[in-house]
Amino acid sequence: MSPASAPPPAPASWRRHEARLAWAFVLPALGLVATVAVFPIAWTVWESLHLHDLRMPWLGRPFVGVANYVEAAGDRRLWSAVGHTGLFAVLTVSLELTGGLVLALGLDRLRRAAGLVRTAVLLPWALPTVVAALIWRFIFESPAGLATAMATRAGLEAPTWFADAVAAWVPLVLADVWKTTPFVAILLLAGLQAIDPALSEAAAVDGAGPWRRFTGITLPLLRPALLVACLFRTLDALRVFDLVYVMTGGGPGTATEPIALYTFSTLLQNLRFGFGAALSVLVFVAAFGLASLAIRVMGGDAFLERRS
Amino acid sequence: MRRLVAACVLASAGCTSVSDRVLTFSGSVVGRESEVIRRQLDRFQRAHPSIRVAVRATPDAADQRHQLYVQWLNARASEPDILQLDVVWTPEFAAAGWIANLDRFRPPGHEFFAPAIAAAQWNGSVYALPWFVDVGMLYWRTDLVPHAPRDLRELSELAARARDDRRVPFGLVWQGARYEGLVTVFLEYLGAFGGRVLDERGGVALESEPAQRAVAAMFDAIYRDRIVPAAVLTWQEEQTRFAFQNGQAVFMRNWPYAYALLQEPASGVAGRFAVAPMPAAPGGTPTATLGGSALAVNAHSDQPDDAYRLVDYLLQPEQMIERARIAGELPTRPALYGTRELEAAMTMPPADALAIIEHATPRPVTPVYSQLSEILQVSLHRALTRQQMPREALREAAAAMRALLARAKLDPPT
Repeated sequence: MSPASAPPPAPASWRRHEARLAWAFVLPALGLVATVAVFPIAWTVWESLHLHDLRMPWLGRPFVGVANYVEAAGDRRLWSAVGHTGLFAVLTVSLELTGGLVLALGLDRLRRAAGLVRTAVLLPWALPTVVAALIWRFIFESPAGLATAMATRAGLEAPTWFADAVAAWVPLVLADVWKTTPFVAILLLAGLQAIDPALSEAAAVDGAGPWRRFTGITLPLLRPALLVACLFRTLDALRVFDLVYVMTGGGPGTATEPIALYTFSTLLQNLRFGFGAALSVLVFVAAFGLASLAIRVMGGDAFLERRS
Repeated sequence: MRRLVAACVLASAGCTSVSDRVLTFSGSVVGRESEVIRRQLDRFQRAHPSIRVAVRATPDAADQRHQLYVQWLNARASEPDILQLDVVWTPEFAAAGWIANLDRFRPPGHEFFAPAIAAAQWNGSVYALPWFVDVGMLYWRTDLVPHAPRDLRELSELAARARDDRRVPFGLVWQGARYEGLVTVFLEYLGAFGGRVLDERGGVALESEPAQRAVAAMFDAIYRDRIVPAAVLTWQEEQTRFAFQNGQAVFMRNWPYAYALLQEPASGVAGRFAVAPMPAAPGGTPTATLGGSALAVNAHSDQPDDAYRLVDYLLQPEQMIERARIAGELPTRPALYGTRELEAAMTMPPADALAIIEHATPRPVTPVYSQLSEILQVSLHRALTRQQMPREALREAAAAMRALLARAKLDPPT
């Protein structure tokens, strides 16, 4: 009895066998996902339902239901941190998209030494954030920083940047814009170079001026790239941590404190594990919602041609 | 197993006798502090041949060391046996049951400065012994002002006059960034007006006249009298020292460590400054916030008796004088301050130091001090950066503190 002469398995059982085999193949991957993603998230949710304060160990670790979430809902510092995060995202993303577009249009025109210039433009983005943040902090330090010295020379009275609830935003936003505009520019440059120059030439022949060609051809065709850049930058800006941690520490007071920094100080400095876990769960839910939205938008709009 | 590893490490480091009694000491072991501690541990081991001491280095940044200790102690680790604690951690660790009650060793509490021992107690028992003291003090320029100010108003006047007449940019500099330093400065102003953060029963006493006057005094020094530059709201100890050292300030509030550095030849003010207690307002008392370190024994140590023996050894007068000489840290024994040995060991005149330590006041002695301090840091910084009126900031801080004490089940009995 050679194997070849055995009757072929019935289609149904063969499919079952195949399905079992498939499960066996994905099992390691599923196990990995479960250990590194599902389990920690579930544990964090469970932790968030407890009072667990390592700085008050005499209280034990009692189950407190949703008490931590109730506290979070009434926590003004949390809500102002949400506001700061939103403000930071709106300011930086809009400036970076505008600046990135201008930069990309310039780079697109470049004929000579294009590679060298593009590399040079990307340099700020290649710098570690902490290093960039330190440099910008030195620039805006009072009273001896470069920014203050320049303002004084120009006859202006510079604020004490990091001790002023409004002025402290200037170095923060500037540093982020300086650092990530190049990244946006490169993304948009790729988009620009994918546009067929024949379209623009044809429009020019028809008598369209440069502005008309920009708004009528370049911008609409650049829309997918703009959308991708916008989503990337927004998601990044919403989880801003290192820049603020190094430059202002969230101060003065808590005037520039974003959510990530508040969660960090709750969890790792005050060691309030229960409440900190509740904050983390809220951040997770918000990030999950935003990411799903982003995927839907990108899947629908950014790849318009694929759908049609 | 851990002991075996430690023993092997020691053996390979040249120790011939492998002992089974290894004590673990953890604390600051960088720079000059490392030099002192290693010398003293060597001497201790020579005096007690049956005991070996291993050093476990911990980060020098207070927050990081605290976090590491919490991880170890919360896991009931039996090592390290001896811990160097920041003076404000003792009640927290004692209330948590992490450090041993030292009463059974009958520690000679009366031999140390009273405020330092007070800060090392919890529920009437001694849980740590003061190793060295830090106190906030006023550095003043002997070439710019005739004498140390007698009260806060005179401080403002002298600062303003020297700033205007002698063209010194800043009258007074202190630590105003949003961190523990700001609270230590505030506590000195608060004491100067006769106020306190917690009353005898442990209730919050921040919504008081003295507290409001203290914040107002700090605020006015920046914005009305302009003797304190607004930049201090971003400064920690070193930035204030740089300003004073470069001759830019008439007065500076700082800790003792700055003294030796300011006397170095490279300093712009060497030989032209002295120290005095921070002055008070009429009706208050000069206040020097107490800092420094204490030594405690891990509650889960396998060898508490040996551990206490080492603590006791490190606190002997001889050790403290050596520490003052090498690391510049002030002894916690008042009896040493009249001796010629300490005089020879210190850059700062011991009599000056003693005059300030007499005004030393512990920060609120409570297991939740760190959290109280964080609340104060944020509220004070908001008030001083003009985001909130001082009265409103204090009210908010007081409310947050009451909520914290209630959550910690430490609120005063009603």
